[in-house]
Order: sequence, then C-alpha cells, then structure tokens
Amino acid sequence: MASKTSRTERKPVPLAEFAADIDRRRSEYEERCGRPFDIPRNSGKRRTASKRALLEAIEEAGGKW
Amino acid sequence: MERQKPGAYRSEFEQALRLFGRASEAMKARGLPAPVLVGGAAVEIYSKGAINTGDFDIATPWQAEPEDELESLGFVRPAGRGRATRGLIHPDLRLGFEIVSGSLLDGMADRERVQLIDLGEDGEAAVISVEDMIADRMGQYASGTAPEMLVQARRLFSLHRDADRHYMEMRIRHETVGDYGVEDLKD
Repeated sequence: MASKTSRTERKPVPLAEFAADIDRRRSEYEERCGRPFDIPRNSGKRRTASKRALLEAIEEAGGKW
Repeated sequence: MERQKPGAYRSEFEQALRLFGRASEAMKARGLPAPVLVGGAAVEIYSKGAINTGDFDIATPWQAEPEDELESLGFVRPAGRGRATRGLIHPDLRLGFEIVSGSLLDGMADRERVQLIDLGEDGEAAVISVEDMIADRMGQYASGTAPEMLVQARRLFSLHRDADRHYMEMRIRHETVGDYGVEDLKD
C-alpha cells in the first residue's frame, strides 16, 4: 500500500471513471491525429518458457490471444 | 480493433481484474503489500483495450501467498506433460496470471506512483504507473529485441500527455542506459 504521506500517491479511481477517462483520451487522440487509436501487440519473441507454457494452457482452455 | 463499450472494459478482463482486486485485498489482510499489475495487462488498462492480453503479469516479492489467494478464487495450475509454467489460469475466464518479478521494474519504479483502481466490494487493484509503463517499453525497445515497443510507448504517451515528464525522463534514461528520453516519445 502506498504511503499516506506521499505527494505523488495516486488516489484510487473507480473503474468506470477510469475507463471513461481513457475513452475521453482516445477520442481526443483520434480528433487530434485524424486516425483511430491503436497499439501494436507484443511480438512475443521475448517470452520466457514459463510464459509460453502459460499461453499454451490458456489456449487449450479455449482462450485465444 | 472494435471499440469497447463506453466506460467499461471487456467482460473477461474486468472479471479478472476484480479477482485480482480480491486477491490483493486478501494479501493486505495478511499484512502483506498488494501485488502490482505490470506488462500487457497494464497496457490494456491504460489504453482501454487497444490491445487485448490473455495473461496478467504481477510484481510481488511473495510467491506462495498470492498464488494461494488466486487458487482460492478459482485459478488452477495447468497440469500435463511438459507443463512448465509458473502461472495460474482461470478455466472459465480463460485468462492467466503469472508472478514475473519480485520487485517493481527491479525496484527502480516508484511504488508511490502506482495507480489504484477502485473495484468497489472487490477491493482495489494496483497498476504500475503509466510513466513507468512507458519507461519499461522504452527499455525493451532500447535493448534492440522489441522494436514494436517504441510505438507502444509513443501511443501510451499520446494518450497520457499529462504524465509526469520529469519523472518519466529520469525513468526512461535509466531503462535505456541514457540513450533515450521523453523527446523520443513524439509520435
């Protein structure tokens, strides 16, 4: 738990409020840049053996990422 | 990628985040600090699903305790021949959690800048700060093995232009051994 005396401590933000803030930021980006907001996925080239095994297990459970 | 509903994350992601919040509260009840979400799940939070991740990376110095708490919430350790993961999966949500580090970016990230997400009765989820997330992406880019991370960092910065630039400059310089700074985030 962060220190109560910290000047940089960020107060908890309700999830819906946080999501709405990101929506607003994305809308501003799209208006400013004239294109949809996107982020490239990780290439996956740096995954550890443990991570690869985890993702395989997720895929076997029906998850697809 | 299709935009998610306004003011909401995709259902499986939010459910997993709420389970993480409950596990975090249980950790605090044990007198231990809450684990911190890092990696791709943090990018998903700060970009509202511009990328979707199937696994949640966690930073915490404890291993057994958070895993116990996640298992009590329905997570299981994948079984099977050759299954060598340290992670846990939730069979219904089809998402996984893995403790990837005992400290927050090798102890260099300022824990007091961690973003707390209020999940109501499910407690709080701690997420690495967007400044440290951007610095981490820049560090991976500077290593030469992950060129896509430069764009990730730039796009995150383009959404969070009110981030603490002084702190971020310091952190990017550290993560990139001085090669890059905030100036390199211009998209």
